[in-house]
Amino acid sequence: MQNTVYQRFVRRWEEVTDLPPQTLGPLTPYYKALTRRLKVMPWPLLVIFSLLVVVGLYVLLGSAVTLIVSLLQRGF
Amino acid sequence: MGTSLVLWGIAFSRNFIGLLTRPYETSRRIVDHGKPGELIFVAIVLACYFALASLVRVASFRPFLLTREFIELVFATSTTYGLAVLLFWSAGQLVGAHGKQKGLAIMWGYTLIPTLVWFLATSLLYVILPPPRTTSTQGVVFSLLFLLFSGVLFFWKATLAYLTLRFGLRLSLTKILIVLAVSLPVLGAYSIGMYRIGIFRIPFL
Repeated sequence: MQNTVYQRFVRRWEEVTDLPPQTLGPLTPYYKALTRRLKVMPWPLLVIFSLLVVVGLYVLLGSAVTLIVSLLQRGF
Repeated sequence: MGTSLVLWGIAFSRNFIGLLTRPYETSRRIVDHGKPGELIFVAIVLACYFALASLVRVASFRPFLLTREFIELVFATSTTYGLAVLLFWSAGQLVGAHGKQKGLAIMWGYTLIPTLVWFLATSLLYVILPPPRTTSTQGVVFSLLFLLFSGVLFFWKATLAYLTLRFGLRLSLTKILIVLAVSLPVLGAYSIGMYRIGIFRIPFL
């Protein structure tokens, strides 16, 4: 039993350490902070990103956003 | 075969929920342990969508036209899927990727789920609230909500695509950006081709 648990642990450890952690020089802490929130239940962050884009588009284009949506709605 | 189908179905459901709640861990599991059979369920859902999309696009019950539209959509999507996997794999080899092609292909199949959700919702909205949108308050509010919905799905898709390349090809962020810089122009040109022949206005990637 203990052997099986140990083997599973080793297999999992090898899986996780197979790929070296991503670093981005001085930006690494920010990258880690961002990806930590994306790894588990990313939806709040995805909604925030999307909200920022939509607000940006509305500020830039105003009611002309309806043109983009009309194009997208014909996009399928 | 029956037992395998049930097992693939369970794995697909588990992975689908995992991609919603724990995308990082689930993507790693799919690449390492996923079975090609799980993609049968993606294919079934896609086929259901294509049947619906054919009805909306043809807008009449003419079996010949509907069948032709359906076959066109299936063929175009299969070709796009194959091309994307091949491109990512080939570009990955250029930067020294040492992943597994099978894992990459299975995981890329799962990334079609956000695309499918967007296309399905857009097709249904096309029937319920056909474009063009007006600049009235209701039109603008609907447009903002639609863009918000599209943006969320786009970022989910981008996250899954990143994880596909990260685990499927075992690459660092810099190399992933190189792979994307090589692959996206080709996929862009291919999408313009699809647009010109009138299959997809927005690429089904």
